[in-house]
Amino acid sequence: MKQIPPEYYQMMEQLQAVDFVLVELTLYLDTHPNDLEAIKQFNHYAKERKTLKKAFESQFGPLMQYGNSYSGHPWNWNEPPWPWQV
Amino acid sequence: MFTLYKTYCPIVGPFDPCNPILEKTYSTPPNLYIGFQPPNLPQFTPLEALRAGTLWKPFYDPYYNPFEEAKGGLPR
Repeated sequence: MKQIPPEYYQMMEQLQAVDFVLVELTLYLDTHPNDLEAIKQFNHYAKERKTLKKAFESQFGPLMQYGNSYSGHPWNWNEPPWPWQV
Repeated sequence: MFTLYKTYCPIVGPFDPCNPILEKTYSTPPNLYIGFQPPNLPQFTPLEALRAGTLWKPFYDPYYNPFEEAKGGLPR
């Protein structure tokens, strides 16, 4: 029975935390377009999210489809665990 | 400084069928008082923000039901 390793959860939580920060900053920047500090922070977290995604996907397979993620060999986007199985 | 909860006392009529509710509580979240968000508010760390539900500390409102035993005391 395929077990989900604990670091899957740690990396996923970090990814979710960075995603949440990006969502908050996006909503904030919609109403504060000139706030340079927030824009710097937004770009910093956007960059960080890319590295987190890269690390996660190299270990656990693609997160998104249609070119948003690289694929492994063989074609493995439909591999478990799916979000509801995690 | 504003409070997250406020109470009021409804009128108790002599003909009320059920026993009266003397004090009712309602939530007044921070966004009512802060209005247009000023820049550079203090922030949570990403992991805390994920739990807190907001990135900025002044906007944090745990919204515990007054009847729940809130963690860290009831925010009255």
